[in-house]
Amino acid sequence: MRSAIVTGIVAALIGLVLVLGGGAENGPNPFVTLGVLNGAIYGLVALGLVLVYKGTRVFNFAQGEFGTLAAFFLFFSIDSEYGGLPYPVGIAIALTGVLLIGLAMERVIIRPLINAPRVTVLVTTIAMALFLVGVEILAFKAEPRSLSPMIQAIDQAGDVNTIQIFDLAVEPQRLIGLGVLAAFGVLLAFFFSRTDLGLAVLATSQDSFATRVVGIGVERMSRFIWATAALLGAVAGILYVPLTGALTPAVMTQNILIPAFTGAVLGGMTSLPGAFVGGVVIGFVQAVSLWAAGAWRVGGRAIQEIVPGSEQLAILVVLLVVLLARPQGLLGRET
Amino acid sequence: MAVLEVRDMGIRFGGLVALDDVNIEVPEWEIVGLIGPNGAGKTTLFNCIMGLYQPNSGTVTYRGRDVSLLPTHRRVAMGIGRTFQNIGLVRELSVIENMMIAQHARIGYGALAGIFGSVRSFAEERKLKAYGLDVLDFLGLSDLANEKLDGLPYGTLKLLEIGTVLATDPDLVLLDEPSSGMGPEEAHQLGERLLKLRQTLNLTVLMIEHHVPLVVDVCDYVYVLNFGKILTEGRPKQVQAHPEVIAAYLGSEAEKVDADAQEIRDEADSGVAAASGGGKERDRGVS
Amino acid sequence: MTTATEVLSPADARTRPQPSTRGWIARIGVMILLAAIVLWRVATIEPFWADRFALAAIYGIIGLSLNVVLGYTGQVSLGHHAFVGLSAFLSAFFVTEKGQSFWIGLLLATLAGALSAGLLGLVALRIRGLYLSLITLTYGFVAVNSIFDIPALTRGGAGMPAPRPSGFATEHKFALLCFLFLGLVLWIDWRMMKTKVGRAVLAVKQSEAVAASYAVSVTGYKVLGFMVSGAFAGLAGSLFAHRATTVVSADFSFREALIWVLMVVVGGLGNRTGVVIASMFFALFPFLVGLVNPLEHFVIDTMGKDPEELTLVIGPALALLTIILYPGGVGEQISPITRWFRGEKFSLHPDGHKPKGKPHRAAAVLRHLVRRGR
Repeated sequence: MRSAIVTGIVAALIGLVLVLGGGAENGPNPFVTLGVLNGAIYGLVALGLVLVYKGTRVFNFAQGEFGTLAAFFLFFSIDSEYGGLPYPVGIAIALTGVLLIGLAMERVIIRPLINAPRVTVLVTTIAMALFLVGVEILAFKAEPRSLSPMIQAIDQAGDVNTIQIFDLAVEPQRLIGLGVLAAFGVLLAFFFSRTDLGLAVLATSQDSFATRVVGIGVERMSRFIWATAALLGAVAGILYVPLTGALTPAVMTQNILIPAFTGAVLGGMTSLPGAFVGGVVIGFVQAVSLWAAGAWRVGGRAIQEIVPGSEQLAILVVLLVVLLARPQGLLGRET
Repeated sequence: MAVLEVRDMGIRFGGLVALDDVNIEVPEWEIVGLIGPNGAGKTTLFNCIMGLYQPNSGTVTYRGRDVSLLPTHRRVAMGIGRTFQNIGLVRELSVIENMMIAQHARIGYGALAGIFGSVRSFAEERKLKAYGLDVLDFLGLSDLANEKLDGLPYGTLKLLEIGTVLATDPDLVLLDEPSSGMGPEEAHQLGERLLKLRQTLNLTVLMIEHHVPLVVDVCDYVYVLNFGKILTEGRPKQVQAHPEVIAAYLGSEAEKVDADAQEIRDEADSGVAAASGGGKERDRGVS
Repeated sequence: MTTATEVLSPADARTRPQPSTRGWIARIGVMILLAAIVLWRVATIEPFWADRFALAAIYGIIGLSLNVVLGYTGQVSLGHHAFVGLSAFLSAFFVTEKGQSFWIGLLLATLAGALSAGLLGLVALRIRGLYLSLITLTYGFVAVNSIFDIPALTRGGAGMPAPRPSGFATEHKFALLCFLFLGLVLWIDWRMMKTKVGRAVLAVKQSEAVAASYAVSVTGYKVLGFMVSGAFAGLAGSLFAHRATTVVSADFSFREALIWVLMVVVGGLGNRTGVVIASMFFALFPFLVGLVNPLEHFVIDTMGKDPEELTLVIGPALALLTIILYPGGVGEQISPITRWFRGEKFSLHPDGHKPKGKPHRAAAVLRHLVRRGR
């Protein structure tokens, strides 16, 4: 119930901005639309982060790299120089590959540390992320590559496939991202409230000792959580990287991880719907700060000339405010 | 003047009232007991006295000075020492290092001097170590000076904790279940030791305890806490026989207990009457 | 009846046996010898390597800085590159733009590091653990994207020049200077942990209530811990700047900060010797491969890879190995040597694993007391 209300309020606020800014010269609307669509990707990654946190009380630093790896697998599958396979096959290969890697990491690295202090496991996921980046650089070389999206914005024939939404020419890939996020949202909501496995995962996140006593395999939970998180990360990578125009090692971690984390914290690290809402809000906040830094002037100069990097600054401010004022986020429960 | 005065103390956690209108007085050189069933709020009261919790209402006065707003470390520096139910020692430090940090309030060099290694800091450290070893000698633990705390037996750790509390040079000591984990023999020894320490070190003690013989042996006065409120207070034998106290511990069957209690009270009164000639009399209302 | 409080006979050993004067001379002698060897090598090696060694010493200081936060206070800082980078730029700025001497620049950089980390310490009073690490990460990101882009401070892409002090301008002399500072930082770290500050910080890390019951000011020592870490980071930043002679923001990325965290983990949290060794290893590794010719051939020709890229995999892999299999890190592996230096007899096992002697001793003492008290 609460999630619905909060989501409604957020949607109303965003809608209000779009309505007010409609049609204006230098208006915020293109930024806002882009921001919300970016927010969908943040939400997807945030979902993976919250899932791992709920299950193991750990921030998975490597969540971004699941996406980068998936993008690399996809590229090498479909690019004419290497695999030349059709796009859907490439997607399948990418998802499977990352899934297997996620399971391997869970078995070899996470499982032995199941009772270690959480700070240790945080450092471990950092090491995992850096290790993956290192492997990417070693195996795939650091030169930027171009990964094409599922539906080209401007295809071979020269036709334009974008859709005009709120003053912005939106590529189809972005809308697909929004759709995927919504689909996963419904899927996971159903899964956690209706299925036995889902309830078991929730139970494990509350008290792993008790669940073990009751007979639910904690190891199985851990495997499942990491597999799903890897999948979510992979999907995010497949959706996002084609839009940045440059596939390089660590691309997902560099661009997505911090906004996604902040979104997860904003939504509440223990709330899955919160991950959605948080991700979208962060996208929105980022967009508005970017627009304001360009459009608003102080003493004749745009803000961004005086203090560059305002989008990052805005995120830091959000993070600080949330953690100082309401650490459980919008939808999380007080611990 | 009472060393410690707690007036109208109340604290709530969410909807749960942990302490309600608690008043306690600990006169100088007395050993005062604080008893009550589990969950009554005894440790919470200690935490409020020490400043680890901020109460919703009430004041703490130490030697006539209102310390209610002072942070914990200031209260400790003023002379209030405290032990913990789960052994308040620093496990990362060795035995002797625990004795040295216990003297923290009295160290004669500043933090920066310590960091840069001033000559004074070296000399002070030697003094701290020597004093720490003396206390360990007193307790018979000097063999263990360089040992880490892991793996030391529970009784040793409890003994060590008393040592560290004493090393903070307190006037008032709050003991949180000092006899927990001890059998009747050891508890009796502890009682003897407490009485001796009170004499040699001029201590005042406020003690949470469950061990009734120890309370009766050692305490001059007792407060009974139940569901966050003072149920009754008085001399140990009187409190022991109080029907509500017995009911609080046992739960029900107050009627049968009443009759038994009346017997015991009669006995206690005759005993008190016999001793009242030379003993300490105190003017306190027994509720 | 005798009371239970009589003192035990003084014939009992009060602490474990201390080394004789000759023993101490031997230990100090070996330490001086080792230091002398390192310094002599630095002074006589080719300039290319002297420069690399300077970087190794700087990494050692950075490792010690992060060790104060991670190892001693128990918090994770993922934004240390912000402190080091800011100090590097400030040092260069004061020397180049304001005409100050290198030493003033160094001092100001150290102070700036201490102050900015102190700010983080204040934040750490309210926010802890995993959430604090997020704040440090984000702050680091902001620093790189905002502060390091301010043209007045960084001169944009060209970077801010940072000339070396006269008298220490050559690779060898500057490297020796860096090692001297590393020695200074080691001394300070040692004294800090040996005295009341170290005890207080460790007590606060374990339990704030217990620390407070020892009259330790919890907020004071939390912030102090961060400030010391920041001071070390600031010092390292200044040395870093003047070694490179030009500071560019590309030198300080959040990947660097993460690698520094890993090198402290590999060194062994809270273990200063291990941390220094691991940090130096991380600094030198890319070039170490080049030293061993067969290895270099293997990497470049057979595997077709650049040795620098290999570091990017080896480093995190080492960290993972350490965490899973050898949690004490390098420090634990070399502990027989460090324990000997501290005055214990040389043995391969720490006292914790020794024979049943001591615990029984304690039980006997207690029994003795109880019996006497009867």
